[in-house]
Amino acid sequence: MFKIFLFLVLLLELGTCDGIMVIGDKNFPDMNLSKQDIKAIFLDKKRFLNNQKILAMNYEYGNELRVCFEKSILEKSQKSLERYWRKAYYKGKKPPKIIKSIEMLFSYIESVSPSIGYIDANTTLKEDVKILFESQCS
Amino acid sequence: MLIKFLFYLFFLTGFVFANEGKNLYGLNIPNSSLNIGGYLDMTYDDMRRDDFLFEDIAMLFSSNSDHFDLLGEIELSHISLEGKSSIHSDVDVNVERLQVSYNINDNDSLVFGRFNSDVGFWNQAPITILQDTTTTPHVEQYVFPQATTGMMYKKRINSEERLSFTLQYNKDLAHQEETLKIDKHIALAYVFESDEFSWGISLGTYRDNNHINSHYAGLSVEYDNDLISIQSELFTEEDTVHQGKPYSGYVQSVWHLFDKQDMVMRLEAYYDKKNDLKEEIYLLGYVYRPFSNLSLKGEYVYHSKLPLNRFVYSLSVLF
Repeated sequence: MFKIFLFLVLLLELGTCDGIMVIGDKNFPDMNLSKQDIKAIFLDKKRFLNNQKILAMNYEYGNELRVCFEKSILEKSQKSLERYWRKAYYKGKKPPKIIKSIEMLFSYIESVSPSIGYIDANTTLKEDVKILFESQCS
Repeated sequence: MLIKFLFYLFFLTGFVFANEGKNLYGLNIPNSSLNIGGYLDMTYDDMRRDDFLFEDIAMLFSSNSDHFDLLGEIELSHISLEGKSSIHSDVDVNVERLQVSYNINDNDSLVFGRFNSDVGFWNQAPITILQDTTTTPHVEQYVFPQATTGMMYKKRINSEERLSFTLQYNKDLAHQEETLKIDKHIALAYVFESDEFSWGISLGTYRDNNHINSHYAGLSVEYDNDLISIQSELFTEEDTVHQGKPYSGYVQSVWHLFDKQDMVMRLEAYYDKKNDLKEEIYLLGYVYRPFSNLSLKGEYVYHSKLPLNRFVYSLSVLF
């Protein structure tokens, strides 16, 4: 019985996200990005780096990484983000590009500069990317 | 009428499901950056002869390139579900906004065309779907111009502060009747914006089509969190014939009671010298947002002087 319980706990642990890593392409300008900078990029308040437009990428609604990102980096609830994007759309702003998988994220990061996204903090990085910021899920 | 209403409700909700939770609006034209969407507001006002009225149906379009943004809002107003309106004999087609922005960098941008200046907070999102009430405060309609046809320079001082300078010295691009029709407008606005708290001050002068010059100044404050949102604005306006509005302001609180339901209270007061009217307006309302881009609102508006006490209901969709 205890083994089954332990197995279930481990299964739950595997399914949750402890933290995230914000990553950029290999040519992403070296700068100490703060949480505020990342927040500004993902809310379409900061668009340029060295005079080049940044490609920001986000996962689909409901993705656990996105849930973690919105709580720990954007520090906004779902409802608050909905209010924000309704008004932002009226002002002509656009939310980050939606990607469906980590593979898709890496594919964009490999080909577009400057580009920025985030992955699970436990991911083993093979691709040539820059780690810009790390955060625990709150 | 009920069947018609249910038909429109059914039709409108079709727009809604596809967007739930995605915060994506409009339709992106393939192989281009052009995005086309819109909004509509259907209101029921028990002081109107028409039962239901499409207050606004508008098309929103935008396109972004590296440094240039195009934004347009073309509106059809006052379409009665009966096919005609008692207020307007014809449907109005109007260019609410048509603006091109040149973003020099993240801190400096220039806007040309017809746009909402940075003056006031309500004026940044003046359509029903973006607000928590169907009716609009007095200050938003009668104290300073809602739209400007000219240019605006925006300067971001840092991540929390920005300044803007607005200039109009020509005729309005739009033809539709607006409360304030102007041919000259100069304004300066400062805004401080943090996560939950924002405030701003605005100063400006404008000349209306009767060649009366007016000056205004105002303070706007907003606090927003998951439990409550409070927005307040207080403006003063004086004109050269001494028929201005010494004060016009409101405090509006929105209580986020449940996940999709909010309660709204608004207190307003204004003094209109021209009509020698000092009035207070009290509003109590309820908002239900079953989806992020659909809202159903009901409110009771009580006027202390004018015979305008009434219930107003609306259904709004952003798509």
